[in-house]
Amino acid sequence: MLDSRILSRVLHRALARGADFAEIYGEERNTGSLFYEDGRLEKVNQGLEKGAGIRVVKNGNTAYVYTNDISEEGLLRGIDTAYHAAAKARDLDEELALRIKEAPFVFSPVRRPEEVEWEEKIRWAKEADRAARSLGEEIRQVTVGIAEVEKKVVIANTEGELVEKEEVRTRAVVNVVACKDGIMQTGYETAGGAAGWEILGEDGLNGLAVKAGDLALRLLEAKPAPAGRMPVVMAAEAGGTMVHEACGHGLEADLVGKGLSVYKDKKGKQVASELVTVIDDATLDKKYGSYVFDDEGVPGQRTILIAKGELKGYMYDRLTAARDGVLSTGNGRRESYQHKPVPRMSNTFIAPGNDRIEEIIRSTPYGLLVKKMGGGQVNTTNGDFVFEVKEGYLIRDGEVAELVRGATISGNGPEALLNVDRVGNDLGFAIGVCGKEGQGVPVADAQPTIRIKELTVGGIVEEETPAIKRIRRR
Amino acid sequence: MEKRVQDYLQERGEKVLNLAGDLKVQAEAFLLYNRELSIEVVGGEVETLKQAEEIGLGVRVIDKGRLGFAYTTDLSDAALKKTVERAVYIARYAETDEHNVLPAGEQVYINLPLYDENIEKESLENKIELAREIERGARHKDKRIKIVERAGYEDTSVVLVIMNTAGLKAAERANFCGGYIFLVAEEDGDAQHGFAAVSKRRFKDILPRDIGEEGAVRALRALKPGAIKTGNMPCVMEPYVVTRFLGIIAAAVSGDAVQKGKSMLKGRIGDKVAFAKLTLVDDGLYVEGMGAFPFDGEGVAARKNTIIANGVLRSFLYDTYTGLKAGLSSTGNGQRTSFRTLPGVGTTNFMISPGDKTPGELLEGIERGFYITEVMGMHTANPITGEFSVGAAGIMIEKGKLSYPVKGATIAGNIIDLLQKVDGIGNDIRFYGSRAAPSLRIKSLSVGGV
Repeated sequence: MLDSRILSRVLHRALARGADFAEIYGEERNTGSLFYEDGRLEKVNQGLEKGAGIRVVKNGNTAYVYTNDISEEGLLRGIDTAYHAAAKARDLDEELALRIKEAPFVFSPVRRPEEVEWEEKIRWAKEADRAARSLGEEIRQVTVGIAEVEKKVVIANTEGELVEKEEVRTRAVVNVVACKDGIMQTGYETAGGAAGWEILGEDGLNGLAVKAGDLALRLLEAKPAPAGRMPVVMAAEAGGTMVHEACGHGLEADLVGKGLSVYKDKKGKQVASELVTVIDDATLDKKYGSYVFDDEGVPGQRTILIAKGELKGYMYDRLTAARDGVLSTGNGRRESYQHKPVPRMSNTFIAPGNDRIEEIIRSTPYGLLVKKMGGGQVNTTNGDFVFEVKEGYLIRDGEVAELVRGATISGNGPEALLNVDRVGNDLGFAIGVCGKEGQGVPVADAQPTIRIKELTVGGIVEEETPAIKRIRRR
Repeated sequence: MEKRVQDYLQERGEKVLNLAGDLKVQAEAFLLYNRELSIEVVGGEVETLKQAEEIGLGVRVIDKGRLGFAYTTDLSDAALKKTVERAVYIARYAETDEHNVLPAGEQVYINLPLYDENIEKESLENKIELAREIERGARHKDKRIKIVERAGYEDTSVVLVIMNTAGLKAAERANFCGGYIFLVAEEDGDAQHGFAAVSKRRFKDILPRDIGEEGAVRALRALKPGAIKTGNMPCVMEPYVVTRFLGIIAAAVSGDAVQKGKSMLKGRIGDKVAFAKLTLVDDGLYVEGMGAFPFDGEGVAARKNTIIANGVLRSFLYDTYTGLKAGLSSTGNGQRTSFRTLPGVGTTNFMISPGDKTPGELLEGIERGFYITEVMGMHTANPITGEFSVGAAGIMIEKGKLSYPVKGATIAGNIIDLLQKVDGIGNDIRFYGSRAAPSLRIKSLSVGGV
């Protein structure tokens, strides 16, 4: 896509103009999406994007330029704009030699989006619609969304590094609405991965549709959740929404640096129960948040954030790492060539423990079992969170009892992690698009079945304030 | 530069229509070139400078009433071919809909002065200096201005070409620029935010000192707020607050929302929905507004549409699809946010016409009332019922004069009821982006306080 000699000449110009650091991020992206609603194909959108983002850093200040003109002329013009009049030119004789960085590992997508006909994808949507509606006449609406992207990226910088990477991602969502006697309930299921359409099996989206429809129907009959403080068991299949939102964001180095995190100055301190180990791992095969290199050309890594309850470190991009005098942890990510990179999570999870799941339930006389999380919000400055419980069951006398609806759980992230007293030997993932500074990036999060000694069930979601992040999981 | 770009886009558009012709489908090429510059200064230093340059094509095809769409930022021959083929391919799977029609070629476009050469010619240094001057304007206004979060300058330039197989050919360029500031004033442990934002068609119309001072005044006048007692009382809304309400009204007058049963104004054409002197228009030809352009996102000629005339609801807004569906025609409101999406109903310059009262005259005779300068949580207003309950801040009105600032109040009601209770319209019309409004006096509004 971009010739390395051109990249070298353009970066050379940046250095000659006095940059401390400069980088070119070139991207070529094929995207496709489908939206199916009301039993008809609403929309299919396919796009082809080519563009480059140029970043110049000088004295900690950043200039960012992006363009669809990825010719040498276009890129040089970008550097000149990024490096505005304040710069002093200097003489630089030697050329900038770019060395290609070898990928530390590879992902191999099987059914590439481009190779799977839209006919098949439309059929998945139609069949999912039919599968959900066949569950009962109470099913009133079924929507199906499918999204896919294949992109090629080239990153070169004034450190002389040259990285080429390719990413394939696929994602599908089925949402089902059921109504009866004036009551409306919804269920939804998602699937996604840094992989091709092999993430779906033979039955396409039918499994997801039936699961979502079944939950919506059962919720129609469910009783309202009780309110009060009680033990909460979060099943592995609920995914790691809580660890991502209530803990992960607070461990991103830029938020820590700005004083917007409860984990500031807590390195080496006990911040969670000693049963809790939290890891961010970009190297997991086929997971939605995985990548071989981040968007600054640093290899994806496995970073231990909290080990047995002790805070070990934060997630860094190049800029924040340089500020703290450490190495980037490979968490510099961006939505596209139109954005500058910032520290972001990849796949974030609580590591599995030793407890058997049945045993965790059996040892809980009373409490709430959370099998599926809905949306919620977190105040990153103090860690307070509120989440909707999409699928929750009461636990009575060590056994799973009836399904309840309308539950919310609220608490404080760091406090909840200190109160974890059981950690199961399983692990379940959820996927999402995480938003920060107006950029969305694909992430996954996970946890084993865990028990939190006490959380408030039935709290009310409070008025939005600027420090609060709203979370959508669709 | 822009002329060259326009020729290039036109030539690429021709190519797209030829490709579509070969495949025997109707087609539309939407081609956009867009350049944006934004400069942000803090403490006189350029903290971020961003320049974006974007070029792209959206292809809409209609094959026997079935719609297909694809887009690309790569305008090479091979990419155009691939994009047209993708759009045609996907149309096969779409539902047939007789309202899927491209606008006809007989359009008359009015020539509008939308391009200021000086915005392009002005040096980057001068633009940076302008942003610095905004910051200085605020800091020099008053020593209680303690924090300038950010001050900035922005400009945008677009070249748009739309062509379709029904013979439509539209091409035009436009640019505009603006300045803004976000700051905090502090006094005796109290801190209040203030902001100002101005967009103009001409570079020389950006007055940086004024922007800085306006931001400062907004923060200063809010310092050391007191409480307001709950009750119904007369209120005066600043233009900025009225434009926030216009956002909700804009959604309700969209033909699409009306047809989908998502509008509080559905079935109300011909009804008196507002104060007898209130007139609401959508005017794509009003040059001072940032929504002015000779044609919409489908190439339909822009015009002035009167939505509410002297209190009576006259018309909704339509694009080609919803216009046909309503048995009418497009009102020139087929808008697009980018070449990456299909057109949908949207506003151009959405404005409440000015009245004859000065802001001071609007306060006259109000024994005790609320002058509203800010609303929060406007997105929670219900566009179907018109109900709203939002946070509000402002200044107490006592004996026809502004007295002490108020924070943490709420105002609630129904938007149509609010429009009907207007009993005074200011002459101080002001644009915020592409929405404009004067100050409005409301006879009585429910205010929640202590």
